[in-house]
Amino acid sequence: MVIVPATTGQMGILPGHVPTIAELKPGLLSVHEGNDVKKYFISSGFAFVHSNSYADILAVEAVPLDRIDPAQVQKGLSEFTQKLNSASSDLDKAEAQIGVDVHSALNSALTG
Amino acid sequence: MASTAAVPFWRSAGMTYITYSNICANLVRNCLKEPYKSEAIGREKVHFSATKWADGKPQKPSNFFFSLKLFPIVSICCFSRSRVWLRHAIGDSVCTVV
Repeated sequence: MVIVPATTGQMGILPGHVPTIAELKPGLLSVHEGNDVKKYFISSGFAFVHSNSYADILAVEAVPLDRIDPAQVQKGLSEFTQKLNSASSDLDKAEAQIGVDVHSALNSALTG
Repeated sequence: MASTAAVPFWRSAGMTYITYSNICANLVRNCLKEPYKSEAIGREKVHFSATKWADGKPQKPSNFFFSLKLFPIVSICCFSRSRVWLRHAIGDSVCTVV
């Protein structure tokens, strides 16, 4: 089973899943094979489930959790929270919001 | 019949999906431990050369080292892994991405 971080929420994919295209948000991807779980952090992307029970996960960056530096995550989170408060234009606000979203997702992936 | 689909915040701020996705990827890359961080940043570098044209003649081309980190909002789609030729006219200069 694969659990993907879709924009509409965490989605579990088992064999026989209905063919789906899901947009992914920054978050945790976990691949469960029996009792073995592999976790990756996805920056964003798409998940395609095909009718022959194959699923493709496309992501720009997919990193195993042990490659993430928690100190950088905390630093980024506080930096972007501050940017969000002081942002003026729509574009600045959007960029700061993206920063906050990505870093909080990284944070919960590391601590969850 | 007007579409009532909810628009993501970045779309309503004028950003495209590719820009959003690249910003997310850059942020994740910055939070990696070494040596993975330098590997990832090196992997995503795009080399391109921009040539300004005037009176139908090319001027001196300039070589660039394009790192997506420095230009979050860019109107060029750069595919660093696949060999995609993209000529995008920006005003009167033509940019060729290899």
